[in-house]
Amino acid sequence: MTYKSEMKQLRKQRWHSVKNHPYFGFLIIVFLMFAVQLLRLMGVDVPVAVLRAFGSTMIFTIIALGFSILLGYGGLASLGTAGFVGLGAYFVVYFTNQLGLSIFLTIIAVVIGAIILGTVVGFISLRIEGMYLAIITLGLSEILNEVFKRATDITGGTTGEGIDGIILFKNVLSLSHNTIFIFISIFLFFIMVLTMNIMKSPTGRALLAMRNSSSAAQAMGVSIFRYRLLAFIVSTVYAMLAGVLYMSYWSFTIPSTWTLGFSLNILAAVIVGGSQSIYGIILGTFMIFGLDLAVFKQIDFFVNNPAITIVLNGVLIIVVVMFYPGGLIRLVQTLGVKLKILIQKLKKKWRDYKYGIDAE
Amino acid sequence: MINTDGFWRDVLLFIAALAVVHIVLKATVFKKLKRPWKAADISINMMIVLGILFLFYRVYVTVEIPGGGLYLILNGIFGSIVQVCVLALATTGIVLIFKTSTTTNFAQGMIATVAAFSAAKISTLVSAQFPDMNMTYVVLIAMFTGAMFSFILGVFIDVFIIRKSKYPTPVGKQMITMGLVLVFTGLIPIVFGTLPLTVQKLSYADNIQFTIGDSPLKYNITMHSIYALGITIVLLVTLFSLLRFTKWGLGVRATASNELVASMMGVNTRVITAMSWAIAGLLGGVAAVIYAPISGSLQVSMMIPTQVNGFLAAILGSFTSFAGPLVSTILIPILTNLMSIVTSTWQNAVVYIIILVIVLVKPSGLFGKQIAKKV
Amino acid sequence: MALTLNNLFVLWYERKVKNHQTQLDFQQSILPIRLQEMEAIKTETLDRLSLKKAQLLLPHDLDKTVKSEYAQEVYNEAINKVEQKFYWRNRALNQTILRQKEKSQDWSLEEPKYLQKQKELDEKKKAALANVEEEFQVLRAKAASINPIEIEKKIQAKMTAVEERFVAKAKAMTEKANKNIAHHKALLERYHKILLDINKNKETYALDEKVVLKLEDLSMHFGGLKAVDQLSFEVKEGEIFGLIGPNGAGKTTVFNCITRFYRPTGGKMYFRNNLNEVVKLNDIVVHNIIKEGIVRTFQNVEMIWELNVTENLLVAAHTLYRSTFFGHVLNSRLLRREEIVMRSKVAKILEDLDLSAYAYSYPLGLPYGILKKIELARTLMVNPKLIILDEPAAGLNDAETENLAETIKKIQKEYNATIFLVEHDMGLVMNICDTVCAVSFGKKLAIGTPKEIQSSKAVRDAYLGGE
Repeated sequence: MTYKSEMKQLRKQRWHSVKNHPYFGFLIIVFLMFAVQLLRLMGVDVPVAVLRAFGSTMIFTIIALGFSILLGYGGLASLGTAGFVGLGAYFVVYFTNQLGLSIFLTIIAVVIGAIILGTVVGFISLRIEGMYLAIITLGLSEILNEVFKRATDITGGTTGEGIDGIILFKNVLSLSHNTIFIFISIFLFFIMVLTMNIMKSPTGRALLAMRNSSSAAQAMGVSIFRYRLLAFIVSTVYAMLAGVLYMSYWSFTIPSTWTLGFSLNILAAVIVGGSQSIYGIILGTFMIFGLDLAVFKQIDFFVNNPAITIVLNGVLIIVVVMFYPGGLIRLVQTLGVKLKILIQKLKKKWRDYKYGIDAE
Repeated sequence: MINTDGFWRDVLLFIAALAVVHIVLKATVFKKLKRPWKAADISINMMIVLGILFLFYRVYVTVEIPGGGLYLILNGIFGSIVQVCVLALATTGIVLIFKTSTTTNFAQGMIATVAAFSAAKISTLVSAQFPDMNMTYVVLIAMFTGAMFSFILGVFIDVFIIRKSKYPTPVGKQMITMGLVLVFTGLIPIVFGTLPLTVQKLSYADNIQFTIGDSPLKYNITMHSIYALGITIVLLVTLFSLLRFTKWGLGVRATASNELVASMMGVNTRVITAMSWAIAGLLGGVAAVIYAPISGSLQVSMMIPTQVNGFLAAILGSFTSFAGPLVSTILIPILTNLMSIVTSTWQNAVVYIIILVIVLVKPSGLFGKQIAKKV
Repeated sequence: MALTLNNLFVLWYERKVKNHQTQLDFQQSILPIRLQEMEAIKTETLDRLSLKKAQLLLPHDLDKTVKSEYAQEVYNEAINKVEQKFYWRNRALNQTILRQKEKSQDWSLEEPKYLQKQKELDEKKKAALANVEEEFQVLRAKAASINPIEIEKKIQAKMTAVEERFVAKAKAMTEKANKNIAHHKALLERYHKILLDINKNKETYALDEKVVLKLEDLSMHFGGLKAVDQLSFEVKEGEIFGLIGPNGAGKTTVFNCITRFYRPTGGKMYFRNNLNEVVKLNDIVVHNIIKEGIVRTFQNVEMIWELNVTENLLVAAHTLYRSTFFGHVLNSRLLRREEIVMRSKVAKILEDLDLSAYAYSYPLGLPYGILKKIELARTLMVNPKLIILDEPAAGLNDAETENLAETIKKIQKEYNATIFLVEHDMGLVMNICDTVCAVSFGKKLAIGTPKEIQSSKAVRDAYLGGE
């Protein structure tokens, strides 16, 4: 009898330590996203738009996570996101259609390319003023967009280009959306874990120090230039990897996707959700991209006036920057705390009613 | 006629030679001077000027007809007058806002686009009301109202958005202007409808044509560009004399160097910043109306390339001065036009890379000074 | 510094020396922590084993007389549980009665119903208690099948095995660590020797044995303003050196030149670093100054507001981490161990400066005196040779200033650091400084012991205005 209760206690403790593990929340989120796909597989009629919404949210969350390292931790803004993601997507097109190489090789090539590109652009723009990064990357993004339009041999020009399917090993494998979905979920989980590690590590602290007080950071031995460059390279790598995932999920890309508007939407996702919190970023990305696909595209009013959602995104950015610099996740957290206090109060009231007030 | 063989080889070789000369000088001569970094600075400036001159020279040489090189270069310059005007106006606005609000205004292009759209609406209204009116006057009226519109928009943004922000950091303000871009992108089609709108040119009179020497090649300047040049010069001269000689200009300069101290010295920094947002809006509006006719029918994203170039010009010439960006605004369109002779597809990319290279060797900009930060 | 082959070698070996130095420090500090950790795991295992023993012996211990504390506890707990349950039910019933009393017009009519309920509750309680007793009877019945001596023996054997295992582990770990330490020490010495050999023909800077920092004709001009003009002085090892002067005398500029936030217009600065080598500070970049052993504080506290106090101190230890960025991304074992070392160091420093109470609070909202102290604590993370304090007492009240003076003296003694400070508070300067240098308009007025400075005419003139 008692041994059993002891074991029960032990199991409770173990569950508690699992529940409080920093990665547990990520697992839950990925599982929730995955559950939608699972329902579809089991025959429940989930609308395709909702599925696509979750797929896009997962892919764009990866970009936004990179951006949060750059903006929330490094205190820098970049407007080249669209260009980088597009470049990643066209890497897949080139490697699959023209070279016929495996997706794994593509990923390696993309990572190397992103590191080189990030180093070059960051090295030029970050030496004087952090603010210049946004400008130089904006220029780069425009130039890249021009390249996407004009290098018709590879990119198919303004009409876009697709792939038949990604190549796993040697032969073309046309994987279904369902399979890619699994692939993306696992990828997202690992990216979240890695991002979490960066944020909690000395690197994350150095970045925050730099953002808060550059002189203190320098006095503590943090090289401002090196860490800015690092943050930018990380965000570039994330963006280009997301490009690869995008291409594998949608199998089609067109230059008009990769414009300034896309970069600004990513920025909106990061700011609206909360630039320093991983959960905030997932929330923000879902609000900006997921809701648009899953909900707004179903309502006639928004279908007739697609510009409204863009205005909404812009207004959200402005309002959040003006009044809630921590993002909506901070709001959610405060609400959660308040709710907890309220519940405790109600509980006490009920106890007082049932058992009488303690005579202390 | 035009032989571009070996163009890039020569340019790269020349740049490499410049780099080698600079490094050798730095290692030998400058070391012995009292302040080596100052000498290195001057040397880099010289190298950049030499590099750009060589680029011009190499384009000059590509044409194998006698006198053709000069024609190509001069016509390139004449052909980019409108772009230079537009860019100069836009860049001055960006720099003005940077100086007073320490933020890079990404919404500059969008404010200008709004002005262009409203100018188009007004010009159709005016010409419907007074069908006999001279086209130039119609466009001028439209330009004026459009510019006033963006003037008010500028004040509005500063007073009701930027200043009401609870935590005004430079990056935060930058974010707000980025958000504004999204808002305008969405609002323009809602407010102005989706039908194509156009703004007329300032003048459709015959182009000015002339020849130089006994060469048979005819040089060509459009009337539109002459009007544009006139308006730009008037605006910029007025602005700079205001900055130089009036109390407001003094206030702007004081705010630019230290906002807190300026406000304590009795400068009304709120009015100063609001006015600079307004004037930046006005300049952008004029630029957009000048630019609109050569880009065809109006589009939401029509000012983005100009804005990108404006930012690049501001970096190239350094945000700390007004003259530096102006020089860059003249340089960028002319370089773009010349490069299109060599490569007709990638001229923008080439110019972008040239700018990057210059920023790489001189991070503080062509005319910039490094300022010691107080700790 | 020209990029010759010789210099490349020097850089290479310097890097090696520094690397081994940090490794040595790391190995030395991780060992006691890991031993402690192991001790904790050992006690936990032993505890668990003894618990298991008690559980196995439970029927035997409960039989006839209660023989062990654990059995007593189990018994009491079971009884208590029932008591508690009925206590609350009783209370709820009483409360209901009270409420009904107020509500009803004629209580006497309803009373019997509630009395009945109370009675029922009492009976239920009795039954529950009996039930518990019965369960224990069943348990006691098992006692016959248990051989307590055997169990005792078995568990005892397990316990000794565990203990032996841990002793062996600790021994192995110590041996390994010692081996590592010896290895790094040997390498350190070797590279040091090589470095000395190479450095024979290197341009060396002469500095007196006891001098830590030496300024030679330091000048810093901002345009036409001469903030610092041909200033030279020496700071000796282990002393508290004060730099005083009226407002705008260029004191902070001197600091900014030493820590390389500014590039001096002229003059040379020499420093004897952690490895006892003399370096020219003019050649070092601002973020590498800390690696030589110079740490500074700021005039207006520069905290990292988004991190808590412990993490603020950890940022200062940034240069001590050996794990690379990839280690950080993958949360490597090395990083986790380093984190333990650094965090224990932080805890020690915070305790030394009486700041333990604030270890996990955020700096935003803490009193100014505490923030100044945290900044001081931050400088101690890297075992600095020279601590530069920029107006440590500015904005503090008298009590806080006194406290600060004590802290500074304590730091000088316990951490073997030289302290160099700029201060306006003459009381503080005269109280704690061994040497004071007075400057005015960037020029040196006088240097000497506090007493000498107090009696110097030039200084008095500068402060009170000459006749």
